[in-house]
Amino acid sequence: MAANSLQTKVDRAVNTDKGFAHPLWAARADKLQSLSGVLLGLFLVMHLHFESSILFGKEAFYQVAQFLEGGIFSETGHGYPLVTKIFSCFMLLILLIHAVFALRRFPTQLGQWRALRNQMRFLPHEDTKIWFWQMITGFLLFFLVPTHLFTMITNPEIGPHLSAERVYHLNAWALYILLLPVVAVHAVFGLYRVVVKWGLVEQRFAMLKFAKVLLVYLMVLGVASLLTYIFIGRSLALPVVPYVSML
Amino acid sequence: MKIIYTDTLVVGAGLAGLRVAIASKERGLDTLVLSLVPAKRSHSVAAQGGMQASLANTIKGEGDDEDIHFQDTVKGSDWGCDQDVARMFAHCAPKAVRELAQWGVPWTRITKGDRQVIVNAEKVTITEAEAAHGLINARDFGGTKKWRTCYTADGAGHSLLYAVDNKAISLGIPVHERMEALSLIHDGERCHGVIARCLITGELRAYIAKSTTIATGGYGRIYSVSTNAVICEGIGQALALDTGVATLGNMEAVQFHPTAIVPVGILTTEGCRGDGGVLRDKDGYRFMPDYEPEKKELASRDVVSRRMTEHMRKGKGVNSPYGPHLWLDITLLGQKHIDTNLREVKEICENFLGIDPVKDWIPVRPTQHYSMGGIRTKANGESPQLSGLFSVGEAACWDMHGFNRLGGNSLAETVVGGMIIGKYVADFGEQTSLVVDTDLIAQFGKQLQTEVDQLIEGEGTEDPFKLKASMQKIMMDYVGIFRNGPELEVAVNQLTELLERSKNLGLKCKKRHANPELVEALRVKRMLKVAVTVACGALARTESRGAHSREDFPQRNDQDWLNRTLTSWPDANSLRPEMSYEALDVMRMELPPGYRGYGVDNAIAHPDTQKRQQQVEAILAELGDDADRYAKQAALMPFELPEEYQPRNQRFTDTVAKTDAESGEK
Amino acid sequence: MSQARTLTFSIFRYDPQESGDKPKMVTYSLTEAPGMTVFIALNQLRETQDPSLQFDFVCRAGICGSCAMVINGFPTLACRTLTANYPDGHIKLMPLPGFDLIGDLSVNTGKFMRELSERLSLWLHPNSADNDIHRIEAPMSPEEATKLYELERCVECGVCVSACATKQMRDTFVGAVGMMKIARFELDSRDTRTADDFYHVIGNQDGVFGCMTLLGCQDTCPKDLPHMQQIAYLRRKMASV
Repeated sequence: MAANSLQTKVDRAVNTDKGFAHPLWAARADKLQSLSGVLLGLFLVMHLHFESSILFGKEAFYQVAQFLEGGIFSETGHGYPLVTKIFSCFMLLILLIHAVFALRRFPTQLGQWRALRNQMRFLPHEDTKIWFWQMITGFLLFFLVPTHLFTMITNPEIGPHLSAERVYHLNAWALYILLLPVVAVHAVFGLYRVVVKWGLVEQRFAMLKFAKVLLVYLMVLGVASLLTYIFIGRSLALPVVPYVSML
Repeated sequence: MKIIYTDTLVVGAGLAGLRVAIASKERGLDTLVLSLVPAKRSHSVAAQGGMQASLANTIKGEGDDEDIHFQDTVKGSDWGCDQDVARMFAHCAPKAVRELAQWGVPWTRITKGDRQVIVNAEKVTITEAEAAHGLINARDFGGTKKWRTCYTADGAGHSLLYAVDNKAISLGIPVHERMEALSLIHDGERCHGVIARCLITGELRAYIAKSTTIATGGYGRIYSVSTNAVICEGIGQALALDTGVATLGNMEAVQFHPTAIVPVGILTTEGCRGDGGVLRDKDGYRFMPDYEPEKKELASRDVVSRRMTEHMRKGKGVNSPYGPHLWLDITLLGQKHIDTNLREVKEICENFLGIDPVKDWIPVRPTQHYSMGGIRTKANGESPQLSGLFSVGEAACWDMHGFNRLGGNSLAETVVGGMIIGKYVADFGEQTSLVVDTDLIAQFGKQLQTEVDQLIEGEGTEDPFKLKASMQKIMMDYVGIFRNGPELEVAVNQLTELLERSKNLGLKCKKRHANPELVEALRVKRMLKVAVTVACGALARTESRGAHSREDFPQRNDQDWLNRTLTSWPDANSLRPEMSYEALDVMRMELPPGYRGYGVDNAIAHPDTQKRQQQVEAILAELGDDADRYAKQAALMPFELPEEYQPRNQRFTDTVAKTDAESGEK
Repeated sequence: MSQARTLTFSIFRYDPQESGDKPKMVTYSLTEAPGMTVFIALNQLRETQDPSLQFDFVCRAGICGSCAMVINGFPTLACRTLTANYPDGHIKLMPLPGFDLIGDLSVNTGKFMRELSERLSLWLHPNSADNDIHRIEAPMSPEEATKLYELERCVECGVCVSACATKQMRDTFVGAVGMMKIARFELDSRDTRTADDFYHVIGNQDGVFGCMTLLGCQDTCPKDLPHMQQIAYLRRKMASV
């Protein structure tokens, strides 16, 4: 009889739900979350680098922007802002996938939230703290990134002057100054976690150190670029005239 | 009071108890286990070395068989063991090892080809056979002729207990954790179960069963310093004593290990000395060569323990807040050797002493290690006095260890004894019916309830913690490694005084549920009876045999003492037990008493020894040279076993020989 | 030897069975002795200052896993924690979170582990045909045996469970101990269960896909088991089913 009840317990543990609750979706959800996260993270790293080309002057940034907007395919060498628009939509989609699957991780009840806070208070632990901040930043990004992306979809023009205008005169700096640290923290530690989570690298502490260095580097890069745009923006007279290549 | 009925009740969820429970459950009997702690925390888990079984897979075990294992065990026991039981054991040990492999134990396996080992502190290269690759390996242990100790790295007890408990879980055997059995329900002839107290809620409960098996381990904690877990307090033995009917056997047979660390008493392996470590006193002087010029630190376990004690008595011990100790110096072995071969010792030193044995000396002293004595049982594990009461493992005096146990035979006894006795317990469960005598149950329940009430509400003034500490100190000081008449007298007198005082225990904490002081009080009264039994047995036995070493009677005296001490406690109000002796029949022995191989052979022979020796020779001569070892054994001393365990053990060498023969024929 | 220090123990006290009792921290002082461990200290406190103090020790040698508690914010085995490790002499003891509290520092890890074992079928499922104990055992590669033992060293102390914020937030999560054991049986060539069978047990939100890689298990395990590596291995394995 006892053996029977044991079997029942074992059976009960076996999940028989349908649809998204089906156990196969547990694996898919985890994979999709990681995959979308890696895409977003790597995109962010590239994004920050491309946009920091402004540090090398307006011309450098202009060329980079035109190139990325598909300038080589146009006779004039000018890119198509539509590319930015489409790409932004695509990133929004990836972001939505990431958010949907990442939401599973959020403490949904007050009890869970309290348990987490208690845990952090009584058993301080670095990776738990990092995850906590990732969760907080993830939550903020849920609002900040779509704001940024909608701007890019509705107003996709990118250029040394146009971007600077957006940053300075249209007050996007306020968004970016929030977005930059939040997204950098989330992306860098997210990438670290994915690597560790799937066992891609065994040297975890080296990885963590690298992540921290990367974070500092991205912050410096981001802040420097942002300041550059602000300076450019301040020097521009209204209405702003798009930058014209010197080449 | 809640009453729970079952077929087989097992008290103690260590290896021996769980193995009996499994045997019973597999026969379809309702089975229930009580345990002080979660099963996997039982003291079996602490065994690190391994278990002996004559598999003869490794080249260093070549030629090993049940006969040699049997002989080693009997010699090790200083001829104090029950040879029938030693035979049953040696025969079933390989079966137990193989069964455990099927239950999940990741036994360390043999790698074919050359490998370097250290024998007598020298590097030796041995070559394992190609065909032995992947079979179960064995290591060397003290007192054995062959490498026979099967192991899993440095955690044999852990692997075994986990595999056996997992098996029990898979069979759905319930373990009632944190339940302490405190009295046996019996009518003087038949045991009906136990009254137990829940350590969480304080509830008293009756467990009524066809058979009750005590598998509660040893009684090491009646000593102040013991390598045993803190739960090894001899309550199982006390349960039997309290019946007034059941007997305990050879309670004075207590083993001490030379090198446990101070203060916590955790063992450092004999390998430290085997590899070249030395013992030093408070002046840093290496004293062992003065006592044992030939074998020095590598004299046998009991000898080293005795010499260390002798030296500390001369005031040469290092004083510490935890009493005097000596130093174990392995610094001379060097970092590389310690890091690779003595990793475990290094970890213990780091964690418990905060020292690095590569640079620092390790504080050690001889420490209580194993209880050979226990609840006396017949070869089927049942008490000769109380039907339905069984005992197994260290708790029992099944008596395969006599007066000294070999390393690797304790872990083996738990599972081998468990599988054999488990069969007999299951037979008993099938052949008898449950007896329910509600008046009797109520009577025993009330008795325990009164005892608890008395402690909580009574006006007693004695502190249980202090009484226990006093008892432990007396045992350590006077019933330790060396014993002598006057000191044992002192011990018996002081212990009986404590026993008297234990009637006047009073508690500061008046809780009826989870109350550590109440637990201590209930135990200390019982432990004191066990301690008195050990001291009385030691005082009465005027000879030295195995671990029982009398300074005033240094000879082994087969003429007067080739017997087993039996103790019972018929009068609950008395301060002393009743003792009697059960002679060992030399004329039935397969291996008549002889020289054990240590020190001078000064034993006083038994009158039958020579007669039996001649008889043995005559029997063997009559059989002729054609008789195989099985025939010889059967002619000398036939022994019983459950049918299922009677088949012979196949060995790797048998198959190699067979294949050779077969291919030869073709 | 220098003058002995006076240690200050701040100990969580609460008896859930005592009506009206409230959780509180109680402070005790004790003179330190050389080589003192938290095991020795707690026993001295019980014997000399407060006989009602509840805690669990069994082997007191770091082998049985009974005595895990949170010591100054770090969950670990109390028996092998030296008081000398705390230079300021202040030692704060809390019971392991995530388990039923019996009282004070005593928690019911045994009940938890047994239930986990039943829920995940944490025992070897051998081929039943292969069970003749009188014949030579089936060979196993020595490397496999070594690897199995390395994963089997878990002592079920519960530290990984208490250190896991995921587990604290979601009660049904199996935790590192459950996954380490699954990994152990998954590796065992004697076990007949397939990857699909294991997926049924841990391929879900309460199993390997519920783990958020916070690594509390990895950073606190007193036996230094490779939790991070094994959970990652299981995740990859289960994700490819």
